[in-house]
Amino acid sequence: MYVWIWRHLPGNAWVKSLISLALVLGVVYVLFQYVFPWAEPLLPFNDVTVDDSLPTPATEWR
Amino acid sequence: MTDEQTESASRPAGRVRGRIATAVGVVGELLITAGVLLALFVVYSLWWTNVMADREARKQADHVRESWARGPSGPGALDTKDGIGFLHVPAMLGGGEVLVKPGTGGDVLNEGVAGYYRRPVKSAMPWDKQGNVTLAAHRDGHGARFHNIHKIKDGDAVVFETRDTWYVYKVFKELRQTSRFNVKVLDPVPRESGKTKPGRYLTLTTCTPVYTSDYRFVVWAELVRTEKVDARRTPPKELRD
Repeated sequence: MYVWIWRHLPGNAWVKSLISLALVLGVVYVLFQYVFPWAEPLLPFNDVTVDDSLPTPATEWR
Repeated sequence: MTDEQTESASRPAGRVRGRIATAVGVVGELLITAGVLLALFVVYSLWWTNVMADREARKQADHVRESWARGPSGPGALDTKDGIGFLHVPAMLGGGEVLVKPGTGGDVLNEGVAGYYRRPVKSAMPWDKQGNVTLAAHRDGHGARFHNIHKIKDGDAVVFETRDTWYVYKVFKELRQTSRFNVKVLDPVPRESGKTKPGRYLTLTTCTPVYTSDYRFVVWAELVRTEKVDARRTPPKELRD
């Protein structure tokens, strides 16, 4: 998979390295900016309040 | 030598082996990718959300302080939407302070502030004649304001600062672990704390154990006195040493 991407990048090893770095940074940016903020509330790591209602589908539909 | 012979002799077997090797390689790369993703998520949760929340909280706190300095003093002129005041807990926050805003939803708490409960049990305000001021904030990530809640002991001071008054509370009970459905801890008279009569209480809630949210950590304090804020905003003695 990664070998395949490396082979299809243009230029010599230096150019390929630079493009790879840019790609990695781009992926990290998208993850931190969009994917993780979206995923975080769905994961049970950071609920701090006491609450008597579970987030059931019924309450989410409303 | 025998290996080379068999490989050149039986091409199909070699091709199958090559295909298996490729499949194993791809699965391996996917597993590595998943591991890197999870590691990045930890970095995001425990570091990046703090960076963002600290920045946002400082901005909002400055905004409240400025409007206090500008606005006319007197009761009723309080802007609750931007925040009702600041929480000082030397045992937990050191010299730091936490802005307190309405609501305990993720949108509020993720800004690195503490929120007062509006549901399931409505919080009292510090200036109310009696009731329970109930607050929540993050234990980890998003500013992690209540991270050191376990360092609070009986007798420690909790000071709520509004524009005109310092409300000085004293901690009298910690509930180190309780169910997340235990909304009774927010009652105007929280019986689990040992209190049976109405009074002026303050309740801090956050999640526990650290880095997870299986249970809730609760700390109760009771008002001991109030102090008028002077022109230089001299803090009460509990915050000076």
